[in-house]
Amino acid sequence: MVRAQEVRVSGQVTSAEDGSMLPGVSVQVKGTTSGTQTDASGNYVISVPSSNSVLVFSFVGLVSQEITVGNQTVLDVALASDLRTLSEVVVTGFGSQIKRDLTGNIAQVKGQDIENMPVASVDAALQGRAAGVYINTGSGKLGEAVTVRIRGNSSISASSQPLYVIDGTPVTTSDQGNYGGETNPLADINPNDIESIEILKDASAGAIYGSRAANGVVLITTKRGKAGKTNVSINYQMGVSEATRRVRFMNAEEYVNFFTRAANTRDRISGYDYDDPDSYTQYMLGPGGFLDYYSYGTFGTPQQGSYDWQEQAFQKGPMQQLDFQMNGGSDKTRFFVSGQYLNQTGTIVGNNLDRISGRMNLDHKAYNWLTVGLSMGLARTNNRRIPGDNAFSNPMQMAALTPLTPFTDPETGLIAGTPPGDVNLPLYYNPLLSVNYAKFLQVSYRNLTSAYAQVNFTPDLRFRSELGIDLLNQNEEGYYQSQTVRNIATASNGLGNNYSTFVTNYNTNNFLTYDKLLGLHEIGATLGMSYQQSQTKRNFVEGTQFPSNSYQKIASAATKSDGSSSETNFRFLSYFLRVNYKFSDKYLLSVSGRVDGSSRFGSNSRYGFFPAVSAGWVLSEENFLKNNNTLSFLKLRASYGLTGNSEIGDFPQLGLYSGDAGYAGAAGQRPSQIGNPDLRWEETLQADFGLDFGLLNNRINGEIDYYVKNTSGLLLNVNVPSTTGFLSQVRNIGKLENKGVELVINTQNTVGAFKWNTSFNVGSNRNKVTDIQGQIIEGGVRSMSRVMEGQPVGVFYTVEYAGVDPNNGDALFYKNTENPDGSVDRSTVTNAGYNTAQRVVVGNPNPKLVGGITNTISFKGIDFSIFFNGVSGNAINFYGVGQYSSANGIYEDNQTADQLNAWTPENPNTDVPEARFYRSNGNQASSRYIYDGSYLRLRTLTLGYTLPKSLTSRIKTERVRVYLSGLNLATFTNYKGWDPEVRTDYNANTYAMGNDFYTPPQPRTVLVGINVGF
Amino acid sequence: MKKTITRYTCLLAASFLLLTACDSKLDVLPTQTIDESTALSTSRDVEVTLIGCYDGMQDVDVYGGAFQVASELLGNDVELNFGGTFQNLLELFNKQITTANSTATLTWNDSYNTINRCNNVLSALDVVDEDKRARIEGEARFIRGSLFFELVRLYARAWGDGDNNLNPGIPLVLTPTRGVNEDNYPARSSVAAVYAQVLDDLTKAKQLLPASNTIYATKNAASAQLSRVYLMQGNYAGARDEANAVIESGRQRLVTPFSSLFFTYLTNGGANPEEYIFSMIVTQQDGSNAINTYFGVNFSAIPGTSGRGDIRVLPAHLNLYEAGDVRRNFFVTTNNTFTQKHLDTFGNVLLFRLAEMYLTRAEANFRLSTVVGATPLEDLNRIRTRAGLGAATTATLDAILRERQLELAFEGHRLHDWKRTRRNIGTRPYNSPMLILPIPQREMDVNKNLVQNEGY
Repeated sequence: MVRAQEVRVSGQVTSAEDGSMLPGVSVQVKGTTSGTQTDASGNYVISVPSSNSVLVFSFVGLVSQEITVGNQTVLDVALASDLRTLSEVVVTGFGSQIKRDLTGNIAQVKGQDIENMPVASVDAALQGRAAGVYINTGSGKLGEAVTVRIRGNSSISASSQPLYVIDGTPVTTSDQGNYGGETNPLADINPNDIESIEILKDASAGAIYGSRAANGVVLITTKRGKAGKTNVSINYQMGVSEATRRVRFMNAEEYVNFFTRAANTRDRISGYDYDDPDSYTQYMLGPGGFLDYYSYGTFGTPQQGSYDWQEQAFQKGPMQQLDFQMNGGSDKTRFFVSGQYLNQTGTIVGNNLDRISGRMNLDHKAYNWLTVGLSMGLARTNNRRIPGDNAFSNPMQMAALTPLTPFTDPETGLIAGTPPGDVNLPLYYNPLLSVNYAKFLQVSYRNLTSAYAQVNFTPDLRFRSELGIDLLNQNEEGYYQSQTVRNIATASNGLGNNYSTFVTNYNTNNFLTYDKLLGLHEIGATLGMSYQQSQTKRNFVEGTQFPSNSYQKIASAATKSDGSSSETNFRFLSYFLRVNYKFSDKYLLSVSGRVDGSSRFGSNSRYGFFPAVSAGWVLSEENFLKNNNTLSFLKLRASYGLTGNSEIGDFPQLGLYSGDAGYAGAAGQRPSQIGNPDLRWEETLQADFGLDFGLLNNRINGEIDYYVKNTSGLLLNVNVPSTTGFLSQVRNIGKLENKGVELVINTQNTVGAFKWNTSFNVGSNRNKVTDIQGQIIEGGVRSMSRVMEGQPVGVFYTVEYAGVDPNNGDALFYKNTENPDGSVDRSTVTNAGYNTAQRVVVGNPNPKLVGGITNTISFKGIDFSIFFNGVSGNAINFYGVGQYSSANGIYEDNQTADQLNAWTPENPNTDVPEARFYRSNGNQASSRYIYDGSYLRLRTLTLGYTLPKSLTSRIKTERVRVYLSGLNLATFTNYKGWDPEVRTDYNANTYAMGNDFYTPPQPRTVLVGINVGF
Repeated sequence: MKKTITRYTCLLAASFLLLTACDSKLDVLPTQTIDESTALSTSRDVEVTLIGCYDGMQDVDVYGGAFQVASELLGNDVELNFGGTFQNLLELFNKQITTANSTATLTWNDSYNTINRCNNVLSALDVVDEDKRARIEGEARFIRGSLFFELVRLYARAWGDGDNNLNPGIPLVLTPTRGVNEDNYPARSSVAAVYAQVLDDLTKAKQLLPASNTIYATKNAASAQLSRVYLMQGNYAGARDEANAVIESGRQRLVTPFSSLFFTYLTNGGANPEEYIFSMIVTQQDGSNAINTYFGVNFSAIPGTSGRGDIRVLPAHLNLYEAGDVRRNFFVTTNNTFTQKHLDTFGNVLLFRLAEMYLTRAEANFRLSTVVGATPLEDLNRIRTRAGLGAATTATLDAILRERQLELAFEGHRLHDWKRTRRNIGTRPYNSPMLILPIPQREMDVNKNLVQNEGY
């Protein structure tokens, strides 16, 4: 058949940005069903009915172009990236969708936005990037757990951390460490391998992950190969980190004056003469007294010095990172290969992390109907760790040491406290001994591999099967030389320990996807199942009595002093279904559901059903808005659904005995857990109302969301009388609520050669415990964190401080008890009456606002980005530090400089009580130590310059970019402690938040880098 | 088309396989723990649960040290000083205790945890082999009775301070916990009722226990504990007779020199000296000595010593010794002075030794003007002679009590000896509410049937 006017057109489609060839671009004759796609080299051939025909070139993420053929037979097209986010593809669970068509709430963070950030793990890099996602890195220790709260705390005893899914496999993210704070297995993932991160926030987006989505889901998709020319990129960066902030402590002179006064006062109270050899004054100042002893006899001599011990905890930590990435392929096979070496030295002495990682992602189109692929990531992470915040060996605790104690023992010339010198100096164990004579090295090997096969039965119907394996093989080795004996009594002849942890986690997803366009109706459906099984095995051995410190393996330990092995398992079996329906590009509907079964629950309630429904209406497609360029896009959406949480540990439902109660070498058992056969899922019902808009031809676009999350049947560790022999029982008791608003605005302020974009997000979440059936749940530092009805999770609940009695320097506390007439007694009591003062809510550790703002500017070869993030309205409990170091000289600990303002007869009007040695005067737990934790931080700043093509082509490179970048360059806060982004690892749990306990501050990093592309 | 059909068939087959094969996979059982329904099925099961009772008893917040440390810190004023940063202990020493005090909380929790273990054993005696049944019941009763005794004298008013039948004691829990219902929210039994239960448990234990039982509780251990209970009650005849029974049994003897009484790990291979009646065994693998933690110090001249050096002995104590008393030299001094009794990291935690029995018998005989076993002077001089002192010519109550104070110093007797003899602690009378631990805030919050002690 010959069509007389038919014209044959061919050409090549390339990227307008970098000129690379674009395969898979749809080339459609407008108004007809005929069309084709470009091949691996971006070439196409198409026949069009006439020279009047219009060709539509479209590709996801690029701006479509329509070109009238005219008399051309060769039509080369360069497609530009679509900066308007509406056409971006967003990864959803078991599929993807164009952002414009979403009815759920999914925040997307592009891999390039967090590229080369000098943080060890991807979760830390997400801070401030997505509305409603609160991230707290907790401390400046490398590779430690990061707190992530998506739309608030939705649990009390169970975890509130989101589920992380990497390339389809739910990965191991829980703490696997045996030392110090919690570790972060996400630190094994190279953030530069990530293409995009999707955060599923509402029920509609999350319900496909059913029982595991109540805390939100983070989907991480790694980079894949692109057909066409092979691209090679090498990046190197180096820099240096330093701790952000300090707290001023007293110097030697201040310390002596302060404690002289404190001891005098105590003698007055206890009826001693200052000269009495038994007096506190003589204990402090006398010959052989405290100051004499702890200054190595230099007190009052010309040799007396002032030593800033706090500063000894810090160091400038160099870091370097080398990245290699390569991708390319043909229309049949595509690949992505990468490697990275990262070496980061901590800002706290003794802390170091290095990681080598590699990745290979392959996709192969075996037949037209079959595609197979493999993603494999391998990593080895070495982390020389520092101890938990509450350990004497935590370097930050050096701040509390006496400023008269020299760093080195004048007799031996060794670090103070090193044998053969006196080991009882300084005041507490010297953490520098651990830095020099002990180590705890964690090495983890991680293999994260997934393979898939996808069968296309028809263009509409596909089946995909995925098998993922996440292997975490970790060894931890500690050795404590005899010099550390003051800290570890059993290390008098060396102590070694060795832990092995194997987490093997298998997951398979098998699902059918059906997509059909029928006129104005578009249907997409997904039906499938998944099964996950995870096993954790741990071994541990400890030895003491080593021949010398040269022998550090337990083979040489004369006494194998401890050992253990253990195993635990959990499994999930799930079936899921989702149907999306779109009519006329205007009306969107999505229904999804998942049935989940878990080994964590009893057979009475093993399965749960988690449905969700959502709908959207694209108003801008309606005639009354269709051609409105001012309001260029408007969509309303709403979702409602149920998700669950089962992160309560394994076997909470069983009444158990443990065989760990041996005595003096004889085996023993004990009752260890009260059972609850009816235990079931914690459920969160969430409604979300959203508005997506675009203004001025979508140069300004944004999202506004309002949500209400109601969690019920909380998996609660319910306190029971300890006279039962148990402390708690896990029950489904109680309800809590999170509600909030989120706002995202992205603007293209200028376009053209000088491009300036701004991206802003802010979320406000209100958390409230609505019902815990009268349970008293408290924890954290001095049990000051509390869960109470009508209050946010984890409020600080303690006695309210009322300042200082100007007449005598006594600390005062408000009584706050209820009067017979129902009013509150605002009279005050002093130290002796402290127990009679009623505790009240004095602060909320949950921020009211969390947000971030990024500005990126590019002009010719220069690119510049500046990113601020901040939180506001949260309180921090400094009592962990304050009870010792801002405590009116109750102990000999060095005091924060603000204690210099303590009450004296000459300084009666102050809020710092009189210093009284070994006597409580205001150092009791109270609101005195609750501080505002709001901060605004210059999180990252990057300035880059890409060399002109003319120059780079001369040195046979595609692209050369040099850059200068900084992390946490400035912090604006009123917090009196080290760093407002804090969450101590001491006594931490889901609700004990916002506590500081000599917690290392965040690092401030400055680095330079170069990126070369071939 | 045929190809497509084949593909569909494969797919459906694969899907069904995956959908049906898995349900049983969700039946996963724990590996280090077993279900309570099977835990007490055999004699061996009950025997190992009894070991669990000792393990609980040995906890640092129970007999592993907290009872003794609390007694010394609450009972002392000028003879020692607390210089550490554990606020719970400083509160005890300053007698300014808060209701969330962690010693008060943990000692309560862990004691009742151990009592529940004992109740589990006592509930399953019928499966125990007949030849072991009496001993096992005796041991469980010894531990339970001892814990009720320690708790009632720490958390309630002293015996005889007011009406024992009205003063609230502590909750008596006598059955094992299986699930939680209203019965698990007990009120405090009266001081009298608690002592009655203590005497019931310990008396039965004495009858059931063998004279010799390796490291575990013996008849003499029960008698020694009974002698303390009777002393607290002012029942001197009872105290005398129990102490006398221990002495007369000849199973223990006073050892010399005095210094060989301690350092059980460093110098005695972990074994108890012959003078010990009962102790908590500490090994490198198991248990720890919390008296060592706070009283001990790393003293480089004696390798293997350790401790936080928190509790320091003051001149007021050292001045009490007569010249030539070897016990006066049983201290070490760095910048502070520490007792040598608790320097050994892995030292066993001494609970009863024979010297106490002599001093108890001497005191009781003296008070009752009897000479059961020996005269008070003979008993007193046995202790003095061992301490390198000359024999006294007369025995007075003051001399006996002073000898007891010095001989048993820092071994956990202080508070209770002072309370039963109605002596002031510093300026506080023996019955000051500040010398009684609060019912832990946590427990008050959970169990509305409890009443708090006066002053909290």
